[in-house]
Amino acid sequence: MDVPLYLRPRVDPPLASLLTDRPFLHSLVDALGSPLNVLLPEAVAENAARFRAVYRRHHLTGRAYFAHKANRSSALLRRLAAEDPATVGVDVASTEELRHALGCGFTGDRIMATGPKDAAFLWLAARVGATVNLDSPGELERLSGLVRAHGLGRVAVLVRLSGFEHATGHGGAGTRLLSRRSRFGTPVRDSEALLSALERNADAVEFVGAAYHMDTTGVEEKARALEQCVLFMDECRARGLAPRALDIGGGFGVGYVAEAEEWERWTTALTEAVLGVRPPLTWRGHGYGLRNEGGTVRGAAALYPAYRPTAGPGYLDELLSLPAPVLGRPPATLLLEHLHDLYIEPGRSLVDQCGLSLARVLDVRPADMDAGQYLVRLAMNAGDMSLEEHGVLVDPVLLPRGEAASGDGEPVGVYLTGNLCLEGDLLTRRLVFLPRLPRAGDLLAFANTAGYAMDFHAHHAQRQPVARTVAVERRDDSWRWCPDEDYWPITPLGGAIG
Amino acid sequence: MRYDSITEAIGNTPLVRIDPAVHGLRNIDLYAKLEMLNPFGSVKDRPAWHMARPHLEAAADGDGTVVELSSGNTAKALALLAGMHGARFKSVTNRMRVPEIKELLLLLGAEIEELPGRSECLDPTDTDDPLTHFHRALSDPGSTYLHTDQYFNPRNVEAHAEGTGPEIVKDLDGRVPDWFVACVGTAGSSTGVARVLREHDPRVRVLGLVAHKSDFIPGIRTIDEVHQVGLFDPATYDTIESVTSDEAIDGMITLIRRCGMLSGPTGGAAYQGAVRQLRYADAELDGTGQRRTAVFIVCDRAESYLSYVRQRRPQLLGRTGRGHSASAVTNAEARAEARVIDVDDARRWSAEGDPRPLVVDLRSPHAYAALHIEGSVNIVDEVFEDLLRGGLPFSKRTPVLLACPVGEKSLRYAAVLSRMGHPDVRSLAGGIVAWRDAGAPLVRE
Ligand SMILES: Cc1ncc(COP(=O)(O)O)c(C=O)c1O
Repeated sequence: MDVPLYLRPRVDPPLASLLTDRPFLHSLVDALGSPLNVLLPEAVAENAARFRAVYRRHHLTGRAYFAHKANRSSALLRRLAAEDPATVGVDVASTEELRHALGCGFTGDRIMATGPKDAAFLWLAARVGATVNLDSPGELERLSGLVRAHGLGRVAVLVRLSGFEHATGHGGAGTRLLSRRSRFGTPVRDSEALLSALERNADAVEFVGAAYHMDTTGVEEKARALEQCVLFMDECRARGLAPRALDIGGGFGVGYVAEAEEWERWTTALTEAVLGVRPPLTWRGHGYGLRNEGGTVRGAAALYPAYRPTAGPGYLDELLSLPAPVLGRPPATLLLEHLHDLYIEPGRSLVDQCGLSLARVLDVRPADMDAGQYLVRLAMNAGDMSLEEHGVLVDPVLLPRGEAASGDGEPVGVYLTGNLCLEGDLLTRRLVFLPRLPRAGDLLAFANTAGYAMDFHAHHAQRQPVARTVAVERRDDSWRWCPDEDYWPITPLGGAIG
Repeated sequence: MRYDSITEAIGNTPLVRIDPAVHGLRNIDLYAKLEMLNPFGSVKDRPAWHMARPHLEAAADGDGTVVELSSGNTAKALALLAGMHGARFKSVTNRMRVPEIKELLLLLGAEIEELPGRSECLDPTDTDDPLTHFHRALSDPGSTYLHTDQYFNPRNVEAHAEGTGPEIVKDLDGRVPDWFVACVGTAGSSTGVARVLREHDPRVRVLGLVAHKSDFIPGIRTIDEVHQVGLFDPATYDTIESVTSDEAIDGMITLIRRCGMLSGPTGGAAYQGAVRQLRYADAELDGTGQRRTAVFIVCDRAESYLSYVRQRRPQLLGRTGRGHSASAVTNAEARAEARVIDVDDARRWSAEGDPRPLVVDLRSPHAYAALHIEGSVNIVDEVFEDLLRGGLPFSKRTPVLLACPVGEKSLRYAAVLSRMGHPDVRSLAGGIVAWRDAGAPLVRE
């Protein structure tokens, strides 16, 4: 066997310390079953503080709206609701998320309604005084109709823009920054219709500002969009409107893998495996989107850039500091000088380090005796822990059941399979290296699953149990836990009430 | 030397020996092939002309567009060649990360399309990368694009096999160097030269240099990226090594400051990579009395990479302070030396002062135009900084109220003006933001 190709996870405290408490984690799974999701509500508050520090450094005001879609937990939402209302809000993308946010203690004025919206969602958002992030002029008309029909107060609205590459007039002559086409938002070139609709419906809606959310890791694209929004808001002011906030969405990213070298070694090995110059690293030679065309690699690896030197608040800082293409000043300066508040909608990055998913090892058997590879079957399926589905490649942490130190034994390459009777139910399509061969009864902990991974795709197929979720907190020298739905950020977990 | 067209000036570049006192190799003569002396400034002039010539001559009516995936030198050469033939040029790239190169291309009349970054939320159904889309668009039967296709076009290699390689042999009096060192971008120069050298003498050793995987050196590829290049064949190279941007800049500085060669980063990378590799061979030759020869390519010139250097090694471009500057004032000094005035007092002062203060808004003209304090003048901070270097820009008899977004920059400038002897300059506490929050009026133009 080659040197093991690890992709070990980045774990910071307190998640790192939780992972060292094996007896505690085993006792949780013994009591509550496998799979099990564990959340650290304190960590989400810590992340909010880090985003706040970036705002402070740039003298900016405005809110971080947690993109609720990233995790359905109550504990996380309630913990965020306890943060300063001036700096933390929640972004909801469905009626149920809106109801949940209200039930967790967010007042309407701290809620942003995004995404596709039906009438009930629009009405409830308007009723409770949420800000509605409008996708199109049509949505604006529907909202205004509801406001008038039901005698509601004026609703604060943002307009979500898209299609920045086509904006003319401002872009540097001769350069066009292509962007992936988005299904969402109103193309900037159609903003005239939007503006006149805003003016026409001024009795029903109060225009608060512009918004974008772009599905890209490229900071330059975002800096360009940001600048175009500032220019757009300027036009709005010239027409007598008074926008005051710019919402730049989420997508600040998370670094999942701890070591750059491990990530680089693995991705290079993948290219080589696709070219056939080394043995496959994946189940049946899956190439993650890369293919070999006559000795040349084509396609793009459908992988999340799992090692990221800057992510989350650091990425926001970078974006705010980049020179903007037209006006030349960094986005932070633009916002500040134009007196705009900055709104962000971090999902994944706000729940970085906020949780893990545990699975019990059911069975271990050889897959390929010659290569020393094994199949490890877990009491969990690909729906319960969907890092792989999101293209995130990172190793689980082995938590042996007994006293055996995790250091003994030889590193081994395993394929992690799920508890569904389906050939395709693999938790990873890649050969995962563990420091030793697991045994039935051991646990595997998938770190950092709170963003989109722990229950985003969970389902009841084959009547397998869906993971329960618990919130944990460090108290004195030990970890305490309670069911996610019982967590409130006012009393210590497991502590005396009152 | 008299030519009828600039294209005749392509090629026949000098081979210049590096002074052994610089590289320290005792038994190896190291030569630089100065491709930067081609008329458009780089090693890419040869393949650009060789690849584009058939296209441009065929489309003599001159309404075609040459397209290439290029972040720099090939684009530069193609833009000039297209311009000479009445055609347009479009560069498609996701690697145009050096602003001077982008601006230079715009100056040459190129059109630039930058490919989008990668998706943050992975869409597993999306198997098409932007490049695949790009190729599909080009092969569309209705397309009028002339695609030079430098990563796959054998004429790229040919240009070097017919020019660069034979020139090296000729300048070494018909001998082949023992080592040939080149950075790998399209693999065109290394492949073409290596082919010719091997034909003359198969003992030549070829060292290919790529960028360190997590690093960025404009113009060359990382070890993974070379596998996406159609012209790349690992068998071309005896060794493939990676270099860091730090090494590239070190090498570039050596070539510039000690050899008088105004090389860019890839020339620096080739030099540094060559010396690193040859040091072992040199030690083995000690005492044998044998001499060896090595050649590396200096691909292009330094001027386009100033911001690249500024970003990675700012101290190399350090400006020494001259005159007064706000950046020389510490926060503590600014707080101690500058006078501030709050919004209410500032409103009263600007309305009733005798004489009234001159209100200077330090924000960008764009923000100023959107909303500002009535009667204020706009001097953007960068310009103000320059003004101060020349001396006090206001009469000492005119009181001055400085305003910026939150009152931080204006505080520094107020401190500087006080140091320069202005008797009555004040900074608006909390800036324009505080002014707005207090409900004080702001006007637009
Ligand atoms: C409108 C909007 N805001 C915020 C987000 C959250 O993005 P992320 O989780 O990448 O931070 C999304 C995700 O798709 C979104 O669509």
